[in-house]
Amino acid sequence: MVNENLVKDVVKEPYKYGFVTDIETEKIEKGLNEDIIKLISQKKEEPKFLLDFRLKAFKKWQKMKEPDWAALGYKKIDYQDIIYYSAPKQKEKISSLDEVDPKLLETFDKLGIPLTEQKKLTNVAVDAVFDSVSIATTFREELAEHGVIFCSISEAVKNHADLIEKYLGTVVPASDNYFAALNSAVFSDGSFVYIPKGVTCPMDLSSYFRINSGDSGQFERTLIIAEESSSVSYLEGCTAPMFDTNTLHAAVVELIALDDASIKYSTVQNWYAGDEEGIGGIFNFVTKRGKCLGKRSKISWSQVETGSAITWKYPSCLLLGEESVGEFYSVALTNNLQQADTGTKMIHIGPKTKSTIVSKGISAGNSKNSYRGLVKMGTKATGSRNYSQCDSMLIGDQASANTFPYIKSQQPNSEVEHEASTCRISEDQLFYLQSRGIEFEEAVSMMVSGFCRDVFNQLPMEFAAEADKLLALKLEGSVG
Amino acid sequence: MEIIEKIKTNKSIGNQTEIQKICLNKLQSSPLPNPKSEQWRLSNKSKLSTLLDYSVNEKDSKFDIPYPKNSQSTIRLVIGDNSQINLVEENYSINQLSEDELQKYIKEQISCFDQNENWSDLLNLSLNSTKNTLGFKVSGSEIPPIEIFSHASSNSLNAKTLIIFLEKNCDIDLLQVNLGKDNSSLSQSTFLCLEENSSVNHGVVSYGENKSNLLNSLNVIQQKNSSYNLGSLHFKFNYARFEIRIKQSAGNAKTNIKGMQITKKDEQISTYTKIEFNGPNGFLDQINKSLADDKSHAIFEGSIIVPKVAQRTDASQLSRNLLLSNLAQIDTKPQLEIIADDVKCKHGATISQLNEEELFYMRTRGITLTEASKLQLSSYFQEIISFIPVSKDRWDLLDKLLNEN
Repeated sequence: MVNENLVKDVVKEPYKYGFVTDIETEKIEKGLNEDIIKLISQKKEEPKFLLDFRLKAFKKWQKMKEPDWAALGYKKIDYQDIIYYSAPKQKEKISSLDEVDPKLLETFDKLGIPLTEQKKLTNVAVDAVFDSVSIATTFREELAEHGVIFCSISEAVKNHADLIEKYLGTVVPASDNYFAALNSAVFSDGSFVYIPKGVTCPMDLSSYFRINSGDSGQFERTLIIAEESSSVSYLEGCTAPMFDTNTLHAAVVELIALDDASIKYSTVQNWYAGDEEGIGGIFNFVTKRGKCLGKRSKISWSQVETGSAITWKYPSCLLLGEESVGEFYSVALTNNLQQADTGTKMIHIGPKTKSTIVSKGISAGNSKNSYRGLVKMGTKATGSRNYSQCDSMLIGDQASANTFPYIKSQQPNSEVEHEASTCRISEDQLFYLQSRGIEFEEAVSMMVSGFCRDVFNQLPMEFAAEADKLLALKLEGSVG
Repeated sequence: MEIIEKIKTNKSIGNQTEIQKICLNKLQSSPLPNPKSEQWRLSNKSKLSTLLDYSVNEKDSKFDIPYPKNSQSTIRLVIGDNSQINLVEENYSINQLSEDELQKYIKEQISCFDQNENWSDLLNLSLNSTKNTLGFKVSGSEIPPIEIFSHASSNSLNAKTLIIFLEKNCDIDLLQVNLGKDNSSLSQSTFLCLEENSSVNHGVVSYGENKSNLLNSLNVIQQKNSSYNLGSLHFKFNYARFEIRIKQSAGNAKTNIKGMQITKKDEQISTYTKIEFNGPNGFLDQINKSLADDKSHAIFEGSIIVPKVAQRTDASQLSRNLLLSNLAQIDTKPQLEIIADDVKCKHGATISQLNEEELFYMRTRGITLTEASKLQLSSYFQEIISFIPVSKDRWDLLDKLLNEN
């Protein structure tokens, strides 16, 4: 018989990214109104079309209601009690990394994201976002040689306004949902990626989001455009310090893949999840959507969600192009009083489109973990296929696991398959491993890792190692 | 919506019984279910309003029972015609429920009703006076099969209620037939209580004629060691909604459900199920099949709820759907809500059309396309039909389905 307490101890692990960087920041006053939006836009020296975009979104947001359909319970968010712009004070323009405040570099070093030259060895270009602004992007010259644009979205607005104007809000319109509208009105920074025709991005691109202040929200926006026959792998990581207040994070990610292009978007989300009593933690309301516009285009989402007090996130694919492919691989681990309502939407519009969904949920402590997904076969999606699998694992008898798959088909020449199962850590398997001399803690960790293998296999190598480590860390603790 | 107007104004609904008053009271503030709620968002609003566009009729017209009674012992009851039943035989007895028993039970049920989830029952109970209520309790052994008919009359809405208490160690075969008429609406609410060690093989066959509508609600409470098997079939309705709510009140019970709905033309038929386990060692095996043709719409939403007390629950739910036309649509949503950790729960869903390879194989053996599709359909239907407790020589449901579809 498995000792329940033993398993509970194993899933306890203090949050190691909870430190605060003591750095002077420039903040604007709390609250949200048209003047604040104008101020943000002015600070970022934005062109008029973007200010109009923001104001339009704000008007729509004011008329919208906060969604309540998710299986989440959280205290009401006071949108007037949030600082919508906060930036570390530093010199106006940075020409090289040497000019970045050493404290910031140190922060990212502590997080295991060195922005300095040593990162060259791993061949990953990083865009680091601290509170509301991007502080550094590495490897830009190397990328530019291939015609790849990788910069913060604020820079893209200045230098590539045509692309921004053409694509911003085309995948996630400003009025898409409550949090997307809020983001469209106040987004402060984020990453912009443009891969030109026929280019395979020579290195993985990565952005790292760090929330540092307790009273400011983070509203970043990411836009990735992959032109014909191009391909890119993009990684995203997030952490935040420990505060006993809840911080709001409402991001929007838009991906566009043209003919034969492929985008792989991987996330390891490790925002601060609050303490054991559920005090503090990030409220994570994210809209992520990719549009497979071109024929044979492919968008693949993979995510490892371990942090945040509240997660509300449904990375989706609109499959418009003929034979386009959408994939979603997810591991969501919740512990203590965390709540996650996450899943995906696969909207099959074009013919012969394919999608695969693999979702693994692990709930421990008093947490709540829900998979919510939509698979829709439109009238023109002849010969399309979907396969979904969502498995849940429960650790302890206080955690809950829910599955809400919505399936809608309007096309007889298409096939949809969905399967889901719920289980717990098998006592037989544990006993077997322990009888072979493997410590209890390690055995649990091995089994969880095995449970998530289908998803980890889809992550880029460095990320897979990080994700495995992250889960192991969350599951590590004092035994007995 | 004539009925809704009446409910709002509380007029012209005859001499109200106490139950009717309670239900009308509940409905008055919001007489229609919330169209945005999970249970009603896919429901066709104009079809629902057609269902409510008839006036309530408490008198029944004559109707033909669709198949002969060939066993003398079978007990046949028609809701509305036979409201009195008292049978005391050597091994068993079937007794009418007293007014007090009925009231007490229904009041208990209403107290935990939710406006959206139990709207069909609230409407049924507010429109039905005692005349169209049949309530009895069964005890003993070697009980003959029971058949209960409920039917609608043209150009009216009929509300009928059935309540059956099954005493301990009882074992029955129960067949319920709901018949729609031309331009009619039928609201059927059924309440079944299974005491310890009892067992029911329940068949529900509902079909209509031209422009028939149906609201069919089934509420089952299972005590320990009871076993409930349900085979259901719904077809030929302009609009039909079959709601199944099963509660294993102390766990340790078995539930098997096999249901099917067939839609053609512009019909909409939906099945909503909610299975709650309130104790350990519960078992559920559920399969729901839909077939949608022409411009029709088939819906299945099933939820399984496993709270902390329901350890060692073993539940599986499967939704299988055939989409046969470009204009038809199918929505399906099997869902699991689990808190207990020592459970085995799984669900699955598929939507596809008839298997082309199988069709091709049969055609190469000289079977025509029509025959081959019929063969495939009969195997698809047979799994469900064989679960309905009526023998083929008495009522050939498969033949009826294949010829009418």
